Amino acid sequence: MVSCAFFLLSWAWSSWWMGDVLRIAYERSYFAADATLMYWLWQQPFGSLWIVGRALLTLYHWPLLGGLLVAVLLACGSWLVGYCLRLPRRWRWAQYLPACCWMIWTAWSGLDLYYMHEPGRIIGVPFLVFVVCAADAFVIWTFKRRRRHAPAPVSPAPRKEERGARSFSFTLLLLPLFILLLFLAPCLLLQHRHPFLRPLTRMQVQLMEQDYAGMVETGHKNAHLSYRPLAAYYAIGLVRTGHLTDQLFDIRLEYDTVYAHSYGGDPEQALNYNLVDCDFQSGLVRPAMRRAMEELTMDGPSLFTLKHLARMALIEGDWEVARKYFHIIRKAPFEGAFLEKYEPMLHRADLVEADPEFASVMQTAPLTNAFENQFAQPCFLGYFAVAESGRSIQTLYYSLMANLYSKRMPDFLARCQVLVGSTPPRTIAEGLATQAPKNDFILQAFPQLKMDVQRYVGFLKVAAPYMKERERGGRELFDEYHGYFPYYYFFGNIRATVKSGEKHLETSKSGVN
Amino acid sequence: MICFVAVAIALLSACSGRPTSLPATFTEVADSACIYPDYRDVTIPPNIAPLNFMVVDDAADAFVADLGGLVCGAGSDGKMDIDTAAWRSLLTAQRGKDIEVRVYARRGQGWVRHPAFRLSVAEEPIDSFLSYRLIEPGYELYRQLGLYQRNLTNFTQTTIYENNRSYDNDENHCVNCHNYQNYDTERMLFHVRAAHGGTVVTNGREAHKIAIKHDSILAAGVYPSWHPTQPLVAFSTNKTGQVFHLLYPEKIEVLDTESDLILYDAERNQVSNILRSTDALETFPCWTPDGTRLYYCSAKMPELEGENTEALITSRFDSLLYDIYSMPFDLATRTFGEPRLEVDASSQGMSCSVPRISPDGHYLLYTYGRYGQFHIWHKSADLWVKPLSNDLAPYPLTAANSPDADSYHSWSSNGRWIVFSSRRDDGNFTRPYIAYFDRQGQARRAFLLPQRDPEYNQLLLKSFNVPELTRSAVRVTIEELNHVVRHTEAQVAAYK
Repeated sequence: MVSCAFFLLSWAWSSWWMGDVLRIAYERSYFAADATLMYWLWQQPFGSLWIVGRALLTLYHWPLLGGLLVAVLLACGSWLVGYCLRLPRRWRWAQYLPACCWMIWTAWSGLDLYYMHEPGRIIGVPFLVFVVCAADAFVIWTFKRRRRHAPAPVSPAPRKEERGARSFSFTLLLLPLFILLLFLAPCLLLQHRHPFLRPLTRMQVQLMEQDYAGMVETGHKNAHLSYRPLAAYYAIGLVRTGHLTDQLFDIRLEYDTVYAHSYGGDPEQALNYNLVDCDFQSGLVRPAMRRAMEELTMDGPSLFTLKHLARMALIEGDWEVARKYFHIIRKAPFEGAFLEKYEPMLHRADLVEADPEFASVMQTAPLTNAFENQFAQPCFLGYFAVAESGRSIQTLYYSLMANLYSKRMPDFLARCQVLVGSTPPRTIAEGLATQAPKNDFILQAFPQLKMDVQRYVGFLKVAAPYMKERERGGRELFDEYHGYFPYYYFFGNIRATVKSGEKHLETSKSGVN
Repeated sequence: MICFVAVAIALLSACSGRPTSLPATFTEVADSACIYPDYRDVTIPPNIAPLNFMVVDDAADAFVADLGGLVCGAGSDGKMDIDTAAWRSLLTAQRGKDIEVRVYARRGQGWVRHPAFRLSVAEEPIDSFLSYRLIEPGYELYRQLGLYQRNLTNFTQTTIYENNRSYDNDENHCVNCHNYQNYDTERMLFHVRAAHGGTVVTNGREAHKIAIKHDSILAAGVYPSWHPTQPLVAFSTNKTGQVFHLLYPEKIEVLDTESDLILYDAERNQVSNILRSTDALETFPCWTPDGTRLYYCSAKMPELEGENTEALITSRFDSLLYDIYSMPFDLATRTFGEPRLEVDASSQGMSCSVPRISPDGHYLLYTYGRYGQFHIWHKSADLWVKPLSNDLAPYPLTAANSPDADSYHSWSSNGRWIVFSSRRDDGNFTRPYIAYFDRQGQARRAFLLPQRDPEYNQLLLKSFNVPELTRSAVRVTIEELNHVVRHTEAQVAAYK
């Protein structure tokens, strides 16, 4: 019964609670039964183990199936641990400790499970434990068979009724403890240490499935959480659903610390985690390509980077390199659907342009050449903050929102001149309202903003007591005013603003390899 | 476990149905066989490794190739793995002649035969070793990279030096610009950047690390050229940066904001300026085979008004046009004479880079592109030749060139082969191509460096950089280089 409960709980943990996390870990991994492609990993310490770990991780293409594999590994591994250690019945619970440790390790690691770290470890380590225990158990079993006719043990076995009663009370006692240990403890640990991780990976899965409304919904459900990658994917959802100009500030944008580590083990705020997606989705295909190539260099091939590079090569019309990426993706199992969708676009610019996602991306692509290095980084903010031309009205909206987000009000106002005579979207109207008391021209140009200005003046009265304690104001006013730009202007993103003002984004390096 | 099963399945499927003899009956088809790498009608050295290739035909499940009597079969993956001993005998027998290659494919209705193509075997061999750097075409970051050496007569690749296999902040470094003296490996050098920085110079089996830095020179040595006989190296010294286009046919520009030429004496560990100018950008030095002249590229520095030189040069990236000059060198006094314009590209609105003189001194090989000097990122870059023994005008090596970037190139020691980097396969990953250079000064169609697995280049996510031919293998061991790079301090060169 305990084993059964353990199996079910570990399946629930690994497929439901951690399903999206491990699905994204799978996307950040790559496995192919090809020596050329896996050589870079094979030559690293424990490389062959990580390759096996990656091979098993591929089942997370379907998280339920991946979770089943993990549950089987953990349940059987635990039984084997008990068998090998010959634990007395009262100590049988200890056989589950290695599995518990694994769950706690995954919860503790968070982004470190796959971001800037080897994803083959995730299942590679429990697989190794399983194999070692299985081998040990086999030796023990063989040894036992040989001693089948050996004399009986000195201490007599307890009578059947005694054994049954002990087992029953033991199970009753232990089961709740197991539920606490095996499920609640890692769940709580994950929620405490990486509260953003599950919604973040949910949004990433939704992005892959092009469920943009779902991304926005996930963002709203977790509006109280404030982490940079989470905000980035929420913004992508808004971009794709056309709600960037009215819902961007619905979530907290204060950016708590992300517990992650870079390649060398230094603390890492995952600032680059979402850049490929953000640059790409905002129409900056070249910067996205560059980022993806850098990730390929640092992490080795992953489905995430290969798929992005292939899609971006299609948009750029780099057919032959797109073919190469497709070829490499084909070597990985289970990626038929991706290839079926995108491979027919090779040498077919008309199909590329007809794809709704690509069409939308190309709508906001730069109109004239410039160098990425000329803009503050990340490029999707730096470029749009100063963009002066575009292929569609979307570019103007992105630019206005980038300036509102960066609180660059003079640049925002300069770009608003194009909107004179029209009704600006909600957040842009709120942005204009914040400047109206200082600039009479705004109400002359946008007379319909009188109500917005009045609301703003009312807000200032409410906000006045908090102006010297903005962090407190941010917390206390959030429920009532989240989504309202003046709230963000005064109480949002304070830490970044206070640290380095508008220049909080670094310009890129320029080394040459 | 899945991995092993998958490998086993892959091996089984590859081995099954591999025919071993030519089909008795077949139908002729008009379309040429689609093969990768494209070895059709190329000229090859008599000592090259087997040209394993892959036939791509979804309608077929087995293939046979007849290479002048050498029969080779392939399963549904189309991969021809040519027997090395038989290949060697074939090349020996056909030296100076042609090999006719016929490819047969087994389709639903039976065997078909494609039109034949030709492999011409040259009389002259190619130098046995090709060294290169393998690195992802990433732009700023690096993790695992190294210098490798390929034996061209077989498929053996050995490591000259590798930075690191697993990431370590304190150990992370880049290596680049390997260079040899006169096709020999007795003297070589390469640079180490970031951790353990310096320039590693070898002398036979020994190596040491130097640092070229002094107030009187612009920066450390970058692009090197060993004097053919003396322990002297001409370096360019460059302040280099790179920028990334948002919307342009090229993706990257690598630009020098300042550059000069310096001379390094490896025996005395001394460095001196060759050209120190503020009105010109000099780079890519190259000695003539007799060591009496130094060729190099030079561009006029644009007249800049403003403080930020880097930004100004960047904004004029496509107006930086390089010409090729040469200067006489007096070995006795170690002095250089007046520069002479060799290739005037700028007056044509074009730009030259990477001059390389043929071993007989008769030809100047260089890349010719629309602008700039880092032509490996320019699709317009092609290989051109200027005859030096007469007044003939420069001309492109049309048969060897491609629509994509064809740049960094080097000669074989007998002057009959050139090897160069090309992005022709996919526009992104450079691959080493080899072309025969005939006595009339024309190059033949280039072919891709053969690999044991013909699919290798389609799967490899690294670029081959700076292919350099040598007659022998590098003598210094990887252990010695590891020791020198990681555990010795660089000796600072004195300024003279």
